[in-house]
Amino acid sequence: MLPRNALSACSRRTPTRLWALSRPLATEAAATEAAKPSSSTLPPHPPKQRRPKPVINTGIILNRSPLITREPTLFEQAYHAYQARIQRALFNPFPDEFYFKPGTILEERFKKEEEEREREAFGPPRKAAASKDSAFTESESKSASESSENQSDNVDEPMPRVSEADKKGDVRSLDRRMDRNLYLLVHAKDQKGKPRWRFPQGGREHGELLHEAAKRDLFAECGDHMDAWIVSRNPIGVYEPPLPADTEAEVIPKTYIFFYKAHILAGQVQPDGKNILDFAWLTKEELESRVDKEYWLAIKDILSDF
Amino acid sequence: MSSSLLNLRDARLPLRVAQASVRYAGRVETNIGDPKLSLIRRILYPSNMRSKPSPTGTWRPNVGWRLQRAIPSVQAHETIERAWRLHERHLRKVRQAELERKYQCMWKAMETLRELDPALYAEANKQEDPRERSETVAKLKGLDRKVAESRVRGLFPRELRLPTDTPPRDGWNYDWKPLPQYD
Repeated sequence: MLPRNALSACSRRTPTRLWALSRPLATEAAATEAAKPSSSTLPPHPPKQRRPKPVINTGIILNRSPLITREPTLFEQAYHAYQARIQRALFNPFPDEFYFKPGTILEERFKKEEEEREREAFGPPRKAAASKDSAFTESESKSASESSENQSDNVDEPMPRVSEADKKGDVRSLDRRMDRNLYLLVHAKDQKGKPRWRFPQGGREHGELLHEAAKRDLFAECGDHMDAWIVSRNPIGVYEPPLPADTEAEVIPKTYIFFYKAHILAGQVQPDGKNILDFAWLTKEELESRVDKEYWLAIKDILSDF
Repeated sequence: MSSSLLNLRDARLPLRVAQASVRYAGRVETNIGDPKLSLIRRILYPSNMRSKPSPTGTWRPNVGWRLQRAIPSVQAHETIERAWRLHERHLRKVRQAELERKYQCMWKAMETLRELDPALYAEANKQEDPRERSETVAKLKGLDRKVAESRVRGLFPRELRLPTDTPPRDGWNYDWKPLPQYD
């Protein structure tokens, strides 16, 4: 409508000699005839009425990467054992006398462990060898077990894969679910005052680049006692929060939230308590249950499945 | 791994990895020097006489029956290998689908940014060269240098830890304090 209104307004005011050039086209003439009565009845507002400039905000998807490897499936475990057995079959024999001085405790321990590994791979030793070695192995195993009891105090046991936080179900802990990717969710009040679970987000100052704004917003919402590394200058996703239905759609600006990926390497979130009520480190499935449906649909493809 | 086993099955050759050109069968200990040296010599250069398999030796008469004990049958082995490759293919497809979804999200975000604000889009698209501040950083001293070197844009931080089978003994470092950032 705009060009036609302008053209028709122009045609009324131009002098006669320019009339030919600014005369509207035949197809438009019929349209302007129809438009003229409606244009005269509209309330007067400036001709360039547009929606105000869209607001660009930034959000952070702060990720704690897995600390431990995944538990292999039963099939994978079986296949690895099978391959280990084939490797054992094809290895050249091990030069024990080169690495272990004959007659030492270390050599006995090694022989015991080797026997254990061989039994695990190939089953118990064959009968011809068994009768010869059984007496030998029994005496050896007694001495070796005694020595192993002495040694176990010195040998460090590795940390368990299931931590205390797993058993308690403490969602604020960063030691929970060490095999999974954890994402930071923050419990904050939105514009209406209703508390929602969402990723940390914030506005952008004038002249600031998006990734710098993301960093500033993260520290503003979650405190700076975190060693967070923003991966790149590029956003990894965008979310358009739905405009509230009751207000006029033309007046308020559209907001866009550009998400940036970051990794937490050390430290913990320290919320100020005023805007941010609570926080949680959650896996992707746990996130789904806490977050609003339309927010989930926007972010689910950005996150890692495992 | 499996292809070598199939080759072993098809080959009619004796199980020999390499031919030793030097004949050192039945050694005689002439100089009784350091027993360690003689041990090393004995291990590195076993006698060529075909009495038993040795660590560095090339004659392995027992591989055949050990392999027969290890695998149930050729057909079973091939089925296991195929099942494994199918499993790996499944994992690969799942991983690729996830990456594809993530890429589409990124692409959509960049397109939206391009339409909204071309200046910000241009800035977001800039490549980060890790070498660009190296000269200025080299001139700094002490804490400033430590701060500047701790995070280099365009490189992964060294604190990004690879997953291990068991977690670290000290657990997560909750008491991290920020260094003064000047950039």
